[in-house]
Amino acid sequence: MSGVTLSNIKKAFGPVEVIHDVNISIEQGEFVVFVGPSGCGKSTLLRMIAGLEETTSGVIDIEGQDVTHQEAARRGVSMVFQSYALYPHLTVFDNMAFSLQIARRPKDEIRAKVEEAARILQLDQHLDRKPSQLSGGQRQRVAIGRAIVRQPKVFLFDEPLSNLDAELRVQMRMEISRLHNQIGATMIYVTHDQVEAMTLADKIVVLKSGVVQQIGSPLDLYDNPDNQFVAGFIGSPKMNFLTGTVAKSNSGASDTVNIRLDEPPNSIVSLTLSGPVPKVGTAVTLGIRPENVETGDVTDADGHAAELTLKTEFTEELGGVSYVHSLTESGARVTIERRSDRNHIAQDHISALLPTRHLFLFDADGARLR
Amino acid sequence: MRLKSRNRTVTALLLIAPFVICYLVVFAYPVYKMFAMSFTNAPLIGEGEWIGLDNYIRMFEHKLFYTSVYNTLYFVLLTVVPNTLIGLGIAMMVVRLKGWIQAGILVLFFMPYILPVTVVTQIWQWVLDQQFGVAQPLIEAIIGRRISVFRDPVWAMPMVALVTIWWTNGFNVLLFISALRNIPDDYYEAASLDGASRLQQFRRITWPLLWPVTALVLTLQLILQLKIFDQIYLMTQGGPFNSTYVLLQLVYREAFGRNQGGYASAVAVALFVIIVAVSVLQYQLLKARGK
Repeated sequence: MSGVTLSNIKKAFGPVEVIHDVNISIEQGEFVVFVGPSGCGKSTLLRMIAGLEETTSGVIDIEGQDVTHQEAARRGVSMVFQSYALYPHLTVFDNMAFSLQIARRPKDEIRAKVEEAARILQLDQHLDRKPSQLSGGQRQRVAIGRAIVRQPKVFLFDEPLSNLDAELRVQMRMEISRLHNQIGATMIYVTHDQVEAMTLADKIVVLKSGVVQQIGSPLDLYDNPDNQFVAGFIGSPKMNFLTGTVAKSNSGASDTVNIRLDEPPNSIVSLTLSGPVPKVGTAVTLGIRPENVETGDVTDADGHAAELTLKTEFTEELGGVSYVHSLTESGARVTIERRSDRNHIAQDHISALLPTRHLFLFDADGARLR
Repeated sequence: MRLKSRNRTVTALLLIAPFVICYLVVFAYPVYKMFAMSFTNAPLIGEGEWIGLDNYIRMFEHKLFYTSVYNTLYFVLLTVVPNTLIGLGIAMMVVRLKGWIQAGILVLFFMPYILPVTVVTQIWQWVLDQQFGVAQPLIEAIIGRRISVFRDPVWAMPMVALVTIWWTNGFNVLLFISALRNIPDDYYEAASLDGASRLQQFRRITWPLLWPVTALVLTLQLILQLKIFDQIYLMTQGGPFNSTYVLLQLVYREAFGRNQGGYASAVAVALFVIIVAVSVLQYQLLKARGK
């Protein structure tokens, strides 16, 4: 059964279009994360689903019902705001009971539902307190509790963890994940933090400038990005990008291209593509993730890897893992991830191999060439 | 160690001295003098003889004193709550506007507040003039005849109250607007998702969150309006038939008109006691409501 379906959604503020023709289908009970840099329209899209923003065109469907022009209260959605939006003059109990009191539910029912939500969120001890007497994490839980008591069809989270410190954020991330398993409702979560997106989501929607870049499971996006933006956005540290031109291209039984990197001396790499091959002379970009760059005593044994000479700039030693930040001879940045290898790289220049099987190829517009 | 702490005390005393001296000379001493004078038969300038409670006994036998107390409280009733509610209403409408339109409308509402009282009363004497006033056709349409409002004992005080509200309302609007702007939009968005109607949003969110400012506005108004004098002095001089005679005017008449400094001080003490009593009472009531 479908939870939420967005069809050809557009949003314009006057002449400025901020959401361009978005199509997303979310299954019931799925945890979907909208992720993208700030200003990409992810919060606007969420607010449109909530009914807090008008939809310029397109159809929003929640559990089989067209709610595009329905008022927010009747859509069966609950929202957790970035600021929590807890009413400062009401106690935790009254904050959580607010929607039920507005709906004039019987007192016993309100008490039962609020206490149930408080139990799930471990807030039983704090029901008589005012929000100002709570810690950031507790306030966050009250905000979630307020959403739970309504038993909505869809939970909407608008960057709910961005006001918390790093440690609490990790903890609340797990709690939200546990809550999702416990109540099994459809959840849509907006964040600019790709780590949050990777850890929470069943399905990630990557947005940029109001356009959906790719939709897929976290590992799908990581292993098989559709374009250079998704490749660079998902994964931390970022994917390394090197520019080059197509030196030779063979169309035939095996579509191979030779790409000459804009790096001396003879860094030519040969890739096999399944799709159409680009013409000779086309500018392209190669991408490789930091963990796939090989260093140390490496030799190009099978001849399928590009070899680079890198100038190391500085190294982040994190214990189990270290990141070496370096520059190529042409000045492009390359980050290398090293695990269980504490041998400090002393020398200024190191040589690195980029194995062909780990390379991603993008055209000048950033589209993936497969 | 000892020396150091004494030095600090001296420094502290030196630093607060300018304020303490000003306070003592221009506030504490005159207040003391007022209380002291109320037990003497002093004229406006110069010392008098101790006459005990005679001034107070005279005051409680003075019919005009009771009239003044009644009129002062009547004026407070006509101004304080209406002025606060009108201010809130206008603020809630203005705050919905955006950008320069909001600023422009706000300026229009605030403008009367910057006018001196003489100009305000002059304007309203023109507006309400029985023969030429622009408001007279309106009064005629409702009542059926023109009324010389400042010469009519029923109309005089409400009209003074109307002018006062028109004059001072801008300041209340300003206070309410800043309070309304402090309520985040998120609260209303969360409430509308929860199905709260506009009225419910006002009752359950806006009103309780505005309450501290409302209490402030009410208290400021109360103190200000109990001290009513200028508008009455300029528009009705207490008439007609003493229907707008207020306490400060009585003080003025006794002190400056009849050279009875002692008796005027006694009336001033009475006003002081009324202001303190009413303010404390109101503060307690407001505090109880806020909880």
